[in-house]
Amino acid sequence: MDDTLTGVESALDDEGLFFTRDDDDEAYRIAFKSEGDRYFVVAYRDDPSFLMIGSGWALPAEIDTLDATEVANALNVRKKFVKTALWEDERDVLFTVELCVNSAEEVRPHFGRLLDVLRDTAAEFFDELREDEDEEDI
Amino acid sequence: MPLVRETVAQFIESEGHKVDVSPVDAEGGVSELLFRTRGQVFSVTTYENDPATFTISTAYEIPEWARERGRNAETLADAGDDFPEVAFVMAHDGGLFIVTCDETPGSPEAFTRSLWEIVARVREAGAYAIEKIVDRTESKVAAEKFISSFMRGDQ
Repeated sequence: MDDTLTGVESALDDEGLFFTRDDDDEAYRIAFKSEGDRYFVVAYRDDPSFLMIGSGWALPAEIDTLDATEVANALNVRKKFVKTALWEDERDVLFTVELCVNSAEEVRPHFGRLLDVLRDTAAEFFDELREDEDEEDI
Repeated sequence: MPLVRETVAQFIESEGHKVDVSPVDAEGGVSELLFRTRGQVFSVTTYENDPATFTISTAYEIPEWARERGRNAETLADAGDDFPEVAFVMAHDGGLFIVTCDETPGSPEAFTRSLWEIVARVREAGAYAIEKIVDRTESKVAAEKFISSFMRGDQ
């Protein structure tokens, strides 16, 4: 496959978003922002049918990682498409959609929906944690 | 001092979105900034003579089968009661409606700080109205279908 991410570039054009390419020896990579939030798309050269769209967030210092893991698990059970993962040591949260595609062009008509679900999952994750915090404070 | 339209356009671009700036009234310093987010095109109107005031709007197309002008105007008026901070305006002979929100945050910088919240509010109001229009039309079609088959003695 020449360039796995051409279809994603077209989808970003459809969405009216700027993006940057940052390919290296291992992977094809795209970075972009939507409403100020950062996202990435990656496809590995040795596994060209695998495509990942995601966004990474820092876990605020006041959030307990056990609470965060609980919320992440609940979202993983409930949410379509999105995987929520926690890197406890780094206190990072990663929201990803992982797909198996013949060509990234297949993603193009669904890109808006996938972006929405990524955005909504991140929003729900932090909203629920904030609610938990507020309840503990009462 | 930078132009209001430039400050706002630069902010939207820095947030990842392409912006198309066009003058509406060059003499009066009125410009329209168009950008797309979550599949929907939004317009921000800026006024160089009044840098504290902004208008955000977006249009929703009404499906052809749901274009009942009188009823939809009524539905939009009801939606207006639920979202008093926005205005709903029917356009293009009932083919679409526009949701508009006037904001006076005080400065272009203050406006950019709340831009995505306003966009979200306008989007929520528009989605609510289009859902009401579609639901109402679907219910009406279903009721008419039932009545007509009932009158024929099918029920």
